[in-house]
Amino acid sequence: MNLEPLKLKIARLSCERDYRLLFDSLAFTLDAGSILRVAGKNGAGKTTLLRTIAGLYEIQEGEVLVGDQPVSEAMHRILYIGHRPQVTGDLSVLDNFKYMAGHDDTSLKFALDSVGMLSYHDSLVKELSQGQGRRCALARLWCSDAPIWILDEPYTALDVSMIKILDKKIASHVANGGICLFTTHQVPTLSEFQTLELGCVN
Amino acid sequence: MSIEKRILARELWLAAARPGDIVKPIWFLLLVISMVPLALTPDSDSLAEIGSAMIWVATLLALLLNSEHLFQSDFSDGILEQYLFFDRPLAWLVGLKLTAHWLLHVLPLILISPIGAVMLSVPGDVSIALFITMLVATPALTCFSGLGAALTLGSSRSGILGALIMLPLFVPVVVLASGVLVRAMDGSETLPLLALLGAFSVASAILVPIAVSLAIRVNIGGSN
Repeated sequence: MNLEPLKLKIARLSCERDYRLLFDSLAFTLDAGSILRVAGKNGAGKTTLLRTIAGLYEIQEGEVLVGDQPVSEAMHRILYIGHRPQVTGDLSVLDNFKYMAGHDDTSLKFALDSVGMLSYHDSLVKELSQGQGRRCALARLWCSDAPIWILDEPYTALDVSMIKILDKKIASHVANGGICLFTTHQVPTLSEFQTLELGCVN
Repeated sequence: MSIEKRILARELWLAAARPGDIVKPIWFLLLVISMVPLALTPDSDSLAEIGSAMIWVATLLALLLNSEHLFQSDFSDGILEQYLFFDRPLAWLVGLKLTAHWLLHVLPLILISPIGAVMLSVPGDVSIALFITMLVATPALTCFSGLGAALTLGSSRSGILGALIMLPLFVPVVVLASGVLVRAMDGSETLPLLALLGAFSVASAILVPIAVSLAIRVNIGGSN
């Protein structure tokens, strides 16, 4: 499956929150097939940057272009997995997943199998451990045809084997012409990526 | 499955997983109605006079009670922000969610209102008028309580606050509905008022989801 080649262009992007300038006139372009790690201390504005690029926050200044469309019109090309669980505790793993991905049962089961959650498909998510819940949320990556992935702390609560599986998935996504932005405080195990270091501007 | 079907199916699964959300308001409604004769008067003539209004008010309160959960848990789980990534206008998806809420959480309240009417010895024709009024007016009330819930997503104790904000919007609906009930008791024409209520519901079903979607967007923009 090859994705449509897209560019993600960030121009003059600035953001101020609670009277603090988080980033100022940020500009970069990501070509199809690139991975960007956004690094920085706690509170440096990593999540704010990712959520702004994803279109969840109103852009205060500057622009985010997906291809040649502004992000507000191209959000369906983005897959965003944030801090929040993205799964509902009261629903079973499979029901949660059916809702999020909307594919047929075989590809859903394939995705759940890829993250090692197939044998739990009948369990309620609230009965699972945190890492297992995280695996369920990440299973969406196996069913997505969005070219741009924005993953905020995807490695949190994952064990070593799942980190390997996730790295492989991200690598194959960009090999197919996708783009991936992520944050992590752990030492990234991905082989090739660019880094953007956010620091307090003032 | 299309996005629309997935959203509706999820509401069904959730309702099945959280039966308390459906049963609690019904329980509340029946409790209030059964307390009225004990607290006021067991005389069936006086009960018949105030009965339909009591059922209306109790239904309104029950509706407020269950609208609290409309968006809150989806918001804190991060499900609501995923709505923005679907290839559909947010207002349309919100409209679907409100429709599902009306079908699963409001319709049961309307369906048990005839039981309440019997408990308070409301005459048959008035009880039919009450039933129709509720069917026609509750879509508007559901929309307004949804707007209250969406506006207060970011705050704790949102239930009461949302109800307070939305109170002025409930007033015209309640006034019109009680007009229908008074006319039904007199035996005069109720259709014009019902038509007005219906127009109110249709207009709010079209316009309120847009306002709700804006409120949700603002609240997502202010959260992590």
